Amino acid sequence: MTVWFVAAGALLLALIPCAVVCIRARLEEAVVALQLAGVIAGLALLVLSEALRREPFADLSLVVLACSFAGSLFLARFLEGSG
Amino acid sequence: MSAHEVVVAVLLAGGVGIVALCSAGMALMASAYDRLHFVAPASVGAILIAAAVLVEESPSLIGIKAILAAVFVLVTSPVLAHATGRALWIREHGAPTMGPRDGIEVEET
Repeated sequence: MTVWFVAAGALLLALIPCAVVCIRARLEEAVVALQLAGVIAGLALLVLSEALRREPFADLSLVVLACSFAGSLFLARFLEGSG
Repeated sequence: MSAHEVVVAVLLAGGVGIVALCSAGMALMASAYDRLHFVAPASVGAILIAAAVLVEESPSLIGIKAILAAVFVLVTSPVLAHATGRALWIREHGAPTMGPRDGIEVEET
C-alpha cells in the first residue's frame, strides 16, 4: 500500500458527495456536480496509473478529462433550452 | 523516509486535500451558483497532483501526461464554469435581448 493508492482511494471517496448531489439535488445542481466528478475521476485515474506503475493508463485520464469537458459543455447547452 | 518521498507525499496530500475540500464544499452549498464556485479550484489540486507525479518520475512520458492533464483542467475549468453559469442564468431569466440603447444612459439635452 503506497501513498499513491491512499491518494487514489481518497479521490474515489471524494466522488461520493458528487454522486449524492447528482441523485438528490435539482437538475441544475446535478450538472455542476457532474462537472466536478469528471475532473475528480480524471485525476483519480492519473494517480491510479502512477500507483500501478502502468504508464499507458494515464491516457485514460486524458480521455476522461476531455470527454467530461465536452459532455459538460453539451449538458450546459441543453440546460439553456430545457427551462 | 527520504526527502524525495516527503515532497511527493506533501504534494499529493495537498492536491487530494484541495480536491476533497472542493467536493465537500460543492455538496454543502445551497444553490447551483454557489456550487459552481467549487468546480474551478479543483484545478489547483490537479496542478499539485501533476507536480507530485513529476517529482516521483522526473521527466518521463507519464510526467508529460500529468502536465497535460493539469494544463487541460486549468484551461477548461473557467470555460466550463462560465458556460454553466451562463446556461443557468438563461434557464432562469430567458435569453438576453440587448437593444442598441439597453444599459446605456443617454443624457437628455
